[in-house]
Amino acid sequence: MFKKALLALPVALALGATANAQKAPEDVLQALIDADPGSVYLTQSEMNIMMMPDSPALWVGMDGEDLFHTARGPNNVSMEACDFGKGPGVIEGAYVEMPRYFEDTGKVMDLETRIVHCMTEVQGFAADDPAVRQRHGSGSDHMKLQTYIAMQSNGMEWNNPLDHPLEKAMRDAGEVMFARRAGMSDFNCYACHGEVGKQVRASRLPATEAKGEWSKAISWPAFRVGHDNVRSSQHRVRGCYYQMRQAGMLAGSDASIALISYWTDMARGQPAVLPDMKR
Amino acid sequence: MFKKTPLAAGVAVFATILFTGGCAVADAGKSDKVDYTAMTPHELAEYLIFEANGGGFNLSQEMQEGGTARERMQQDELQKACSLLGNANPDAETAEAVRTAATASITYPEGGIQLGDWERGRVLAWSGFGYRVGHNYDDHKTREVGGTCYNCHQFATDRVGGSVGPSLTGYGKTRGTSEPILKYVYDMIYNPHTYFPCTHMPRFGASGFLDEQAIADIMAYMFDPESPVNE
Repeated sequence: MFKKALLALPVALALGATANAQKAPEDVLQALIDADPGSVYLTQSEMNIMMMPDSPALWVGMDGEDLFHTARGPNNVSMEACDFGKGPGVIEGAYVEMPRYFEDTGKVMDLETRIVHCMTEVQGFAADDPAVRQRHGSGSDHMKLQTYIAMQSNGMEWNNPLDHPLEKAMRDAGEVMFARRAGMSDFNCYACHGEVGKQVRASRLPATEAKGEWSKAISWPAFRVGHDNVRSSQHRVRGCYYQMRQAGMLAGSDASIALISYWTDMARGQPAVLPDMKR
Repeated sequence: MFKKTPLAAGVAVFATILFTGGCAVADAGKSDKVDYTAMTPHELAEYLIFEANGGGFNLSQEMQEGGTARERMQQDELQKACSLLGNANPDAETAEAVRTAATASITYPEGGIQLGDWERGRVLAWSGFGYRVGHNYDDHKTREVGGTCYNCHQFATDRVGGSVGPSLTGYGKTRGTSEPILKYVYDMIYNPHTYFPCTHMPRFGASGFLDEQAIADIMAYMFDPESPVNE
């Protein structure tokens, strides 16, 4: 543990340098806490806050940096050729402006779907290649790349564009989905996120109306201590539908992206904690 | 099980029309041929769930209660009425309609409401197992369905419960076991919309989530003087 702590500092410095040299993720979180000191969600785990400078997600992000800049796939090109919305290879501030509309596909895409697109269309990987297919786990290419790319938006304000009619349509459909009750428990997203200061079992819940809480809540990738893995937005959405006793969400479906468009819009203007650490 | 009401059936009919006639679908599975911006947010949400690229969810998966995930995702009348944007409260008319339908949905055990085995009720109140599908399917043959009560309520304080719903610690001790209070709790478990229209609490009896014996046992956990809830 001690060794890891010693090593983590330079990692944090090196990775932070490209995005927001002034603020580490724990500093961004601290600012959210300072703005809402009564929030039991933001402050629920002192241990996690303490551990953030040593988050394993920082290492996953470092692997992602290597992966991002390495020429890969049948076409032997790196992710630098991929446009995440701000031009090929530009990732600083790209993630807080996703999901967004992409001209080349005619679709609104979140980070994960965009990485899939670039792996298959730019790098030439087959859709069933493990690099494309394996979405979960700290060891997956997806989580490495997502973490690295997202970290270049640490401390920046969520600001997914809604100028394109499709972006607006997806956000509005996501708002409906957020409130849509179905399944054996009649739950919608508000069952857990509609009131401030609640908990499910021992777990403190973030509420949509507490904007700082919501900003941390949607700050994925995050290292989930209980899972011992870095997790993504798509993983969170799937888990929520699972607990709601609704159907299994398909990764990258337009339904998932609509929901993520709405949840990002609800955190608009709040700083992203990337990578975050969650229980 | 849920009764799929005329409203829920309407959703299915609507989706079919949308898919086959209303929009230019050149090829099933090519959602990009459909103009999302021409739909209302509700239409688009239904389309994304049920139709786009074959649906946004694993809709063909078989459900524990029978049928498929496609059916589980369809809303019945109450779910539709209570799906309010921004977590708004229902208007008075909707609330009254929901309340009336909920009251009519409740059936009582032959011979009246009985308290069962509080020890089994304690296990069921704690258990979060049952009816989850998707990537980690709850196989009901391997374990009995729990009530997920602790997710939202505190009971005996030897375990940490949630706070989405009110604390039920000491419930029987403070309220006694008169017929009206037993009926109230039975109704609340069976279909809580009869007292709180559009509550977030599930309809454990009306949905078929819990059977008669499970409800009796969970009620015993709440009311039995021997139960740690009433210590």
